[in-house]
Amino acid sequence: MSALVAAAPGVYVREAGAEVIKSARMPQFIIPTIVLPPAFYALFALGMGSGNVEMATRTLATFGVFAVMGPALFGFGANVAGERETGQLELKRLSPMPAGAHIAAKLVATIVFSAFAFALIYGLAIFAGVRLAPTQWATLATVHTIAVLPFALIGLGFGYRLGQKGAIAIANIVFLAMAVMGGLWMPVAVLPEFIQTIAWALPSYHLGEIALMAVGQSDAANLWLHAGPLALITSAAAIFAWTGQGRHAA
Amino acid sequence: MSPSASSTVARLEGVSKAYSGRSVLTDFDFALEAGSVVALLGPNGAGKSTVAGLITGRLAADAGAVALFDRDPRDADSRARMGVMLQAAGLPEALTVAEAVGLHAGYFKRRLKTKDILEQAGLTALAKRRCDKLSGGEQRRVHFALAIAGAPDFLVLDEPTTGFDPEARRAMWRLVREKADAGVGVLLATHHMDEAEALADRIVVIADGKIIADGPPAAIKAKVAGSTIRIRTGLSPAHLKMLPSAAKVDQRGADTAILTTNARATLEALFSADPAFTDFEVTSASLEDALADIIANTVKEAA
Repeated sequence: MSALVAAAPGVYVREAGAEVIKSARMPQFIIPTIVLPPAFYALFALGMGSGNVEMATRTLATFGVFAVMGPALFGFGANVAGERETGQLELKRLSPMPAGAHIAAKLVATIVFSAFAFALIYGLAIFAGVRLAPTQWATLATVHTIAVLPFALIGLGFGYRLGQKGAIAIANIVFLAMAVMGGLWMPVAVLPEFIQTIAWALPSYHLGEIALMAVGQSDAANLWLHAGPLALITSAAAIFAWTGQGRHAA
Repeated sequence: MSPSASSTVARLEGVSKAYSGRSVLTDFDFALEAGSVVALLGPNGAGKSTVAGLITGRLAADAGAVALFDRDPRDADSRARMGVMLQAAGLPEALTVAEAVGLHAGYFKRRLKTKDILEQAGLTALAKRRCDKLSGGEQRRVHFALAIAGAPDFLVLDEPTTGFDPEARRAMWRLVREKADAGVGVLLATHHMDEAEALADRIVVIADGKIIADGPPAAIKAKVAGSTIRIRTGLSPAHLKMLPSAAKVDQRGADTAILTTNARATLEALFSADPAFTDFEVTSASLEDALADIIANTVKEAA
């Protein structure tokens, strides 16, 4: 153990705390990403599909994935780009902070704020008459939490490569494309065939399908059919993020 | 536990560095001792930021050895003994000054107490202010606070007083001087000659990837020209250049400026060569004049 560098666990905890505080104090950025998905869910499940519990259950699974995408894509993409542009990232790199602490802290903050968003949707779902077994709720929450990872990595990859404005623009496009073409708003089956093909390359599609398995709306025997591609896509996103590091070096 | 005055903090030996084929440093040697403030000066693109980048471990050398406290600058332990103030640096907007400083200090085991850091940087009154509510000069003081948070043995300061009023600049110089007197080695990159002159124990001038002058500010000034003689004379510039100790001759209309390393010797020769010269004035050359001259001469020789 080093005589000069602070113990890693303490640094990770403090860094994560600071990230949560930073986001919480910037409500103008975090509120829209948290409120938008539950508002859409209310429109679909309580408004248009009122009384249709099966639809409310189906959209509960897919909107939970949608809810995670906002904080993950914007939190990592725009946020990291901003910190990179202002030299804050550089200063951390020159410090003895453990290399992973900053990203891990952002991941924690993203999970915290994503959890707010999907917890709101869970509440609305219960209000709409959705009833799940406790294990189903637990599985669903796990799937939605894991969903943070691929989107965060994609956002990080853009954050390392683009300026803050560019990262926000790309995050918006990725956000909408993944939601629509990944079948989070309406099932992929009703979309044009070429979009159904594209969906296979999107983490949102596979996460949506796995979440549907968790609520009993899709056959869990097909788990690997979606978990396999999801693992591949996530690995590709990790490589995309990793190779973006240090792009800014003069 | 401050290191002895003679110990070397940072060292570059035979270092070469090129960017996409364009050589910036070639066989470059440099050392920085504990307790001294060394200012790196030179035109943009001369290699100053490359030297700083290599020492801080931001860049890797193509050849040669770079050591910080006799280790690789990328080691966490060498970084833990270094404090850095970057030129372009933001702050975590939503955190207060005390939170931002405490968070950064938390990376170091041998850290100062947040309260002490704030006091040293003159930020006690601003402790609870959010970083996005600070003026430019106040932000710069927070950057300095971050740099000293880990009780560093080596400080890298890039344009530390940009945006400061004269009083705040002198206060910052005092802080840096105190650190150096306590044994900290300081690498200073600045465009302000008065800052280099006021702070630096040693000035290292870099042009085209080579050190073209290295010494205390007074010696750098003396090396080129102790003074400038301004006169009106009938003698030609070529003739004036032959005068003893004359380093450089500039003619603008009827006025001529002679840079000299020994004003007395030059003037005596001038009296005998042209007793009719008029309107003479002797001023001591500024560090800025000296540097401009050193750099111009080097570029001329290279061409």
